[in-house]
Formats: sequence, structure tokens, C-alpha cells
Amino acid sequence: MSQILSSNEVAPVRPGGPILQVDALVKHFPTDRGLMASGAVVHAVDSIDLEIHPGEVLAVVGESGSGKSTLARCVLRLIDPTSGRIVFDGRDVTGMKGRQLAGFRQQVQPVFQDPFSSIDPRWRVGRSVAETLDAFSIGTKAERQERVVDLLDRVGLDPSFARRRPHELSGGQRQRVGIAAALAPEPRLIVADEPVSALDVSVQAQVLNLLADLQRDLGLAILFVAHDLAVVEHISHRTAVMYLGKIVETGPTERVFRDPRHPYTKALLEAIPHPDPERRLVGSVLEGEIPSPIAPPSGCRFRTRCPVAIDRCAVEEPEMTLFGTGHTAACHVARAELEASAG
Amino acid sequence: MSVAVTTSGAAPRAVWRRGILASRKGRWGFGILTGLALIAIFAPLLAPHDPNAIDATRILAKPSLPHPFGSDDLGRDVLSRVIFAYRVSLAVAVGSTLLAFLVGVPLGLYAGYHGGWVDTAIMRPIDMVLALPAMLLAVALIAIIGPGSNISALAIAVIYMPILARVVRSSTLVVVSQTYIEAARARGTRSRRIITRHVLPNAIGPAIVQATILMGFALQIEAALSFLGLGAQPPTSSLGVMLADGRNVLTQAPWVEVFPGLAIAITVLAFNFFGDGLRSRLDPAGVTE
Amino acid sequence: MSDLLALEHVDVGFATEDGRVSAVSDVSLSVSEGEIFGLVGESGCGKTTLAMALMGLLPTTAHVAGSVRFQGLELLGLPPDELRKLRGDRISMIFQDPMTSLDPTFPVGEQVAETITAHRDVNDARAKERALELLGDVGIPEHERRFGDAPHRLSGGMRQRVVIATALANEPALVLADEPTTALDVTIQAQVLDLLRDLRTRLQTTIVLITHDLGVVAQICDRVGVMYAGQLVEVAPVSEIFRSPRHPYTQALLAALPTQQQVPGSLRVIPGRVPNLADPPPGCRFSTRCPYVMDVCATVPPLAHETDEHLIACWLSEATNQAGRPDHATAGGAA
Repeated sequence: MSQILSSNEVAPVRPGGPILQVDALVKHFPTDRGLMASGAVVHAVDSIDLEIHPGEVLAVVGESGSGKSTLARCVLRLIDPTSGRIVFDGRDVTGMKGRQLAGFRQQVQPVFQDPFSSIDPRWRVGRSVAETLDAFSIGTKAERQERVVDLLDRVGLDPSFARRRPHELSGGQRQRVGIAAALAPEPRLIVADEPVSALDVSVQAQVLNLLADLQRDLGLAILFVAHDLAVVEHISHRTAVMYLGKIVETGPTERVFRDPRHPYTKALLEAIPHPDPERRLVGSVLEGEIPSPIAPPSGCRFRTRCPVAIDRCAVEEPEMTLFGTGHTAACHVARAELEASAG
Repeated sequence: MSVAVTTSGAAPRAVWRRGILASRKGRWGFGILTGLALIAIFAPLLAPHDPNAIDATRILAKPSLPHPFGSDDLGRDVLSRVIFAYRVSLAVAVGSTLLAFLVGVPLGLYAGYHGGWVDTAIMRPIDMVLALPAMLLAVALIAIIGPGSNISALAIAVIYMPILARVVRSSTLVVVSQTYIEAARARGTRSRRIITRHVLPNAIGPAIVQATILMGFALQIEAALSFLGLGAQPPTSSLGVMLADGRNVLTQAPWVEVFPGLAIAITVLAFNFFGDGLRSRLDPAGVTE
Repeated sequence: MSDLLALEHVDVGFATEDGRVSAVSDVSLSVSEGEIFGLVGESGCGKTTLAMALMGLLPTTAHVAGSVRFQGLELLGLPPDELRKLRGDRISMIFQDPMTSLDPTFPVGEQVAETITAHRDVNDARAKERALELLGDVGIPEHERRFGDAPHRLSGGMRQRVVIATALANEPALVLADEPTTALDVTIQAQVLDLLRDLRTRLQTTIVLITHDLGVVAQICDRVGVMYAGQLVEVAPVSEIFRSPRHPYTQALLAALPTQQQVPGSLRVIPGRVPNLADPPPGCRFSTRCPYVMDVCATVPPLAHETDEHLIACWLSEATNQAGRPDHATAGGAA
């Protein structure tokens, strides 16, 4: 019997299910505006489904142009999707405005990549950390100050840092400030867009440890957007691999890394420069360039670079196929192999 | 990465000490402006004579000890007249620039922050004003409303407002592209709060420098308008009115013309020095991390 | 193999408002002909400054001392004009950002050709021919058509290939590559690393690769020098650096790399911060963060031969102790 299930046949959301659910999310950007607009659009995110459960770290990996940051910005409601739904804690937040949106924002907080531009250079650290508390007037002034001290302690900074200015801080310390600010309103989901990629290795380790500790201690869910696969493998429970605006494979991180099914995931994993001279990558690198998201290839978007592409890949977009518990990939070839082995 | 730090920052005293006053130009500019401002404020105490007292015995008298700047064609003391006229001119210059600043900065800020159609709606009319020759605009405005020092202040403000709005808009665009603005939005901070707490303090620096320098030039515009008879009206006198009057006796009594001219030159220079001092403080290269 | 490049006791200081910043301190090393030498370290360790010093590209506020010999020629103190003739000819450089290292208004092929005519007495037609050949060599598809394209029409990976073609235009003896793949996506990075490896095999070009990425080092380098806060702390063949790192900093750096085996939250971290180089600690600059710090660490440990090929500057090492004793005072570095 075939075990293949396409994603839309997967059982409906169980009660007490995902904290965040993204349904058929699409985001297209016009390439130009105004009277002379050609009508061409960048297909930044094209029909993406994903879920994050409470206390889970979901990594979204991909190269530039994959749409991973656009996805993060949609989830943060910084940009409005072209279509699709974002459901947080059972409530559709896609069109939320005003007070409701403010309530959502307290529960979903961002951590950004660049620790140098993500905090106001003129604000003292304490004020930056308390920004959300001040914005929503949470607690009295004294309570807020106390909370800032707690938060700084939580991220491993001395309370005296509250009085400091960003330029006195190192990149790692700034990133801690950014994390403290995100924790301030006691969010349930953190959306972290490349939170460690601007940091040196030794500092990156500190920030990764901090994120992992916080996640465990506070039961946070994290949407972790990254391009560094070693980091992703280390920190995430589940991984979604994006290519040109589509999720091509998703599953438990260990499964995706040990037993990748999509040829792109395989190529991506093979391209990792392992810090081990015994594991040198020779030949067999993925050829060609990422195509333009303005005119993505027909059918499977990866087919132009795919080493195993068949004719069918150009005409028919592959559906998500289930390869194991929670492990899905969208590839005709992999699906055919699975069908063959299942008899 | 470097970050602009401006006088409106949270540590103004340090900025003054290490910044503006650290440069020689800044110190000079600041010193001269302080002196001139004091002269303008305390004009009634400082002027040795009544600026409007006519003395038929002293018509076009040369500079002397009791009348260091000499007398004009009505025998009035030129020093006293310069001091009082300076008061009017400086008031017009400061008032007009301040008005332009108060209107132009918010407009540039909103245009730059919101972008899109808000930007277009605000900036297109402003660009149109900017496209007109400044003097023509001022003269036309006065022709409609009528002359007077208040009106010339308003005319100068109309000329300056678009300049300041443009400056603020462009620095706002830079600030808005910084991640901390996006972070603030994602944290739930309201637009108005983001504009006043994040964008304004980080974007206003260049506008302050620009306004300082414009303030000096406002003195020149005021003089030009008064020279044309469109500025201050008698009995009020301004430096421009004095220049216009002095022109008639330039060959017999150059002091009537020279001293008000000098007053303008020195003031413009002082504002420029001070502006440069501010700028060196604002220059990203001046602040290293 | 002979030494192509030999640095002896190179110091680089910058005059700043906060006083003199010691960006590179007493670095001695040598690079053999035909090898890929990796210079690795975190931001601010002085690796880029060192490369700029060799090229004579530092601002005038920099003060450089010591000796840099390239093919037997002393580079430090060479007149600017002589240095300029060397650059782009016998020594060339590849920078991190392929967009800013190309002129945006010029067709890419012309830029490669220009590098040739700047140093070689050839006519334009011959230079163009050669430029076209180079674009093909670095793996630009349809390079004949791409020749006339402006840089912005090329992807990041293609631009970096053009930069590499420019660097190779005059068949240099030495290429300094500063983070050449850092701005690229991982699959494109793999392609460019492959290309560099291939070029070395084909052209016997010596490459000094400056990077923070230990993965990149492991992938293509033959030997590695590890820098910390301006000091060179360890030099060894790549396999030894990864298999048996000897300097506590190298060990800590490798341990900080995330792997799947470790429980999240348990990555090894290096406590403390990189010292302020305007006021560095005396002796070993890692001593302020080192778990094994001793009194003797207040004296600069000389870089000494642990084995023929493995050099280390740490008082924990017997070799350093030997070399550090006054009667054996041959503080050296040439491998």
C-alpha cells in the first residue's frame, strides 16, 4: 500500500495545535511602480504552508532569493501578504489592525540580523529593552525598570548595561540587547531573521547558547531564518528548505539532514564547507545560478539546476509527498522512487 | 559602522564641549553670535544715542569719539541706528528660519517616513515652490500682502521651508531604512511614537546645520527686500533700509553704508562658522565606534 | 618548494584619537610557491590589515615596520610607484564584495582587458582576446556574450568570477584573496572554492586566503595561520590545525563551531572580549581570556617550531619555552 499523502490530505489542525500556522501564503512585489510599471512581479513567496508548535524551533533555510526573509516579515506583519492566511494561536491575524494587531505584536517578537542597525544608536540600552513595555504602557515605570534589569540578567548582561549606549557595546552584546528587547513583553513566538550570521564564530556560539537556553526555559517557539546549515542543524527541531519562494522539503531536522529527499536539499548539504579537511567537497557541486524570481522556471523551480530532472519537472509542479513522520518533499523523482520501493 | 550624533541627542552638553566648541571655527562662530545676540537683546542699553534723534548740526559728520560710526544725512548717530536696525534684521532672520524649520521639518519627516502617495502629496507642491526663483517668490508675496518686516520674515520662511523639508526628507529616508525602525514597528510601537522617538532625533541633525547657515543668509535676503523698499517700513529701520539710505551719500559719507554692510557680513560669516562646527560634529566620519 | 613570500617581525600600528592601535604585532610567516595559505581569525584580528600592508594599500595613518620579502624583493619601503607596478601584475587581490571591486559603468570584459594593458605592452585587440580567454577559464557561461555586460547584469557569483579573472589577468605569482566567498550563497561559494582549487592546480598560483570561515579553510587550504588580536598564534598544515590544534585560542575557536552532536545551549564559548588594541595586554594577547593563563604569559611567547611544520606561540608549548629562553633567542617563524 502506498504511504503517499499529499499535504492537503494531512489531518486538520488538532486542538491545542500549532501556535503559528501559515496557509498558502503568497507575496509578490511589483518590480516597478508608477505610470510606467510593466506589471512584472517578483515571486518572493509563492504558496507556502507551514506550522510551528509551542516550544518548537522551526528553521527556514535557503539562499538569497529564496524568500525566507520575506516570509519572516509577513509573519511579523511588517508587510501584507498578497494572499493566504497567517493564523496565530487559532486566530487569523492576516488582516488585523489597531488594538488586535497590537496584542498580536506583543506575543510575536523579532530578532534581527545586524546588531549594529537593529538598535537605535541614540537610545540607552535600558530604553531599547523597555521599548515594547513603554509602547504598551505595561506596568508602572518602576516595574518596567525592574523588568529591564531582569531581562538584561536573563541574556547575560550586567544591569549596568541599562545606562550604556550602543556604541559602547560589541556586536554580541548588542545582539543580546536585541534579544532582551524581544523577550520584554513575554512573547510566545520569536521570529529571528539570521540572528547570528553577522557575528564572529566565538560570539555566535554565545548567542546560539543563549537562544537555546531561553527557548528551553521559557518554552518559546522560534521561527529561525538562516542560511548557515551548521547553525540550523545545531539549534532547530524542524527544518524547512526554501528555494525560489517555495518550500521544497520540510521535516524533523535530523531527517532532513540525514536523509534529504529533495535534490536541492542534497545539493545544499553537499555544498557546506565542513570544518574538516578530511571531508573536502570535490567536484559534484551544484552548477548554474539561482534563476530570477521575476520569471521562475515552469513546473519545479529547481529543475534548471537539478541533476536528476526529468521531462515531467518542466510541465508539472511537484506536490508535497510524505516520506516519513512529518517529513515531506516536493519532487517528482523522489516520489517515483518512493512509489517504486513501496511497490 | 558610524552613527550620526546631533545636538538634539541625549547628551547635549558633551556634544557641545567635544563637538562644536572643539573646532576653531565653531568656537569663533559661537562667540561672535553670542556677542551679536547680546547686542540685539540689549540694544536700548547699548546704543549711546536715540537712533531717531535728528541733529541738524551733525549731518554726515565723520566718525568721532562720541559718534564712532559717524552720522547720517539727518545727523542721526549711525552706531545707534546700526544697533537698533540689527535687532530688527536678526529678529527677521531668526524668526523666518524658525518658522520654516517648524513647518518644513514635520513635512519632510512625514513624507520620508510614510513614502508612497503621502510623500508625493507633500513633496510635489514643495518641489514646485523650490523651482521658483526665491527673490521673485518673496517679491510676489509681498506684492500681495503688503510690505513690512513681519511680511518679509514670512516671505523668507516660504523660501526656506521647502529647502528644510527636502533636507529632512532625505535624512529620514536613511534612518527609516535602518533595522531599528522595522524592529520598533514589529515590537508594536505606534507610528507617531516611532517618528518622534526614533526618526526625528536621528534625522534632524542635517536640518539643524542647514537652518543655521540659512539663518545667516536670511539676513541678506531681508536686507535685499528692505533695500527694495519691501521690508521694514519707517520709522522701523533694518540693516537693509540703512543700506538703501546710505547708497545716496556713498561718495560723501561712506560710513553710513559701510557699517551696516559690515554688520551683515560678520553675521553671515559667524552663522557659517557655527554651521560648519555643527556639521563636523554631525559628519559620520567624526564619530567612530 | 621555495618561499615566495616571507614576513619577518611585521608590525602595523595606526595613530588614532585613542592613541596608537597595534593592529598587527610581530608577525613572521612564510608562504611557499604554489600553496594555498589560509590566514584565519575573527574580526579585528589584523588579517586584512596584514594583507593591505603587503600590498602597500594602508592609509597614511598606518605605521608599518619589519620586513616583507616577495620573490626576494623587499616590499616595505618600496616607492609607491614600484608597488603599483607590482599590484595587479605579480601580486593581485580579490576582495569580499564583488560589486564594489568592479567599476559599475564599465563592461566586465573591458575591465579584465584593462588590467592587462595597464601592465603589459600589448595592443587592445590582443588584450581583449586574452580577457575573453580568462572569462572562459573562470567558468563564465557564454563568456563571449557576457564580455560586454555591465557588472550589474551579472549575479554575485558571476561577478566574483570576473574579479578572479581580473586578478589572474597577468598570471600573478601571488593572489591575496580577502574573504572571497563570504558574500556568496553556499552553493555558489562551493563553485568559487572549486574554481580557486582548480586554478591553483592548473596555474600553480600561490594563494593567500584571508577568511573568518573555518569551513572554507578546511576545504581548500594547505597550511593555515591563526591570528588573534594582531598576533599570529599558530601555523600548521590544515589537517593538523583541525585534528590537533595546539594553541588554546585555536582550540576554543574550533570548539565554538556549532555541530549537531552537541545539545543546543552547550556550545563552548570563549569568555570575555577581544582586548582593546590601543591598550593590549602585555605578552600573549589571548592571556586575558585563556583558561590556562600563567604568570609567564605577560611575556610575548615566540612562535616556535613544535614540529617541522607546526608552529605555536604559547608558553604551554615546550618549543616556545625552548625558543623563549635567552640562550636560544631565535624567535622565528619561517617554516
